[in-house]
Amino acid sequence: MAEFDPIEEKAVEMLDDAQLEAVRADTVAANDERFEFVLWNLCLRGVAVIERVCRTRGEACGLGEQEIELAIEDASARMLLRLSRLEPQPQVHVLAAEIAVACVERAWPLQKSAPRLSARTPQLRLIKGLDEAIETGKARPNDWENS
Amino acid sequence: MSAEDAVERAFWQALEDLKAGSEKPIESYLRLVPSGQREELGRMLADLLAARGPAVGPSAGESEGYRRAAAVVDEVLGARGAAGILPGTLKAMRNARGIEPDAVVERLAADFDVRGEEGRRALARDYHRLETGKLLGSKLSRRLLGSLAAIFDVDPDEVRAAARPAAKGPSLSSAPAMGRGAGARAPSPPSPSERLPDPEVELVERLFHGGPDA
Repeated sequence: MAEFDPIEEKAVEMLDDAQLEAVRADTVAANDERFEFVLWNLCLRGVAVIERVCRTRGEACGLGEQEIELAIEDASARMLLRLSRLEPQPQVHVLAAEIAVACVERAWPLQKSAPRLSARTPQLRLIKGLDEAIETGKARPNDWENS
Repeated sequence: MSAEDAVERAFWQALEDLKAGSEKPIESYLRLVPSGQREELGRMLADLLAARGPAVGPSAGESEGYRRAAAVVDEVLGARGAAGILPGTLKAMRNARGIEPDAVVERLAADFDVRGEEGRRALARDYHRLETGKLLGSKLSRRLLGSLAAIFDVDPDEVRAAARPAAKGPSLSSAPAMGRGAGARAPSPPSPSERLPDPEVELVERLFHGGPDA
């Protein structure tokens, strides 16, 4: 990353989220090389939110540690993409949370999914004489509590 | 509606309210979910609603997840060049999602109906050059960027914005594989054994080097 005047860097670091977003929008529109430093600062703030939201949401969705870390990396890259747009963006922690949730909720190959019914129709045969046996009390319907 | 759906809905509601500048007290969102889900939602909302000042909290900086995320940001910005941050973000998303470069090339080949071996080789070569920052963002075609956006499930406008060259990026020149060097000799007529350019290779050249409208 290009190096800038330390005083200017400090001034950028001291800006609040809304001010920093305004500077980002200005520098990206002007193709100002300071955009990179502004973006870096914004991302570091967003990354903290991404990390926490991915972890909380990922654990609730049954993702493993490795998947959560991959979701964090994915969300960080997507936040960079989003912040390269010319249009003004929401506050960075809101944006980061939105992206983090989307990254956790995408399809994960190893994610535990709910059991699904077989697509094949089961082949069932009625035992000959069973209905009569039940009626006469020779056989009783299965009771899961007693069996 | 399941408890997980309720958490999700409440979280999105809070996000929308924040965007609109009309966020409510945290309790009003917690009331929207069953009591067993309130702790999870509470943690998520605390992250979302906490006012964030200039500095990053020290606890955030200590976790492995934070370090990995910060490393992605560093790598992407460090590789910013003639195609902006697009090369770095493509590589980072691909790695995070476990997508092999060949799979991206396959999808591109399907999108642009490139079936021949030469065309696919050209696609693989140019995609590799794109991901390693060796191409000019200004020469990438809109339809290529649109296809990449679909492959990575992101907004095409974001991909286009990310491909804008850095202000002082390395001055690369677009060098289509089909181009011939301007030598001192006058061009000689093609020999009968010389083949015509493969139309699929030409298509790939246009996609990666032909400019936005190619």
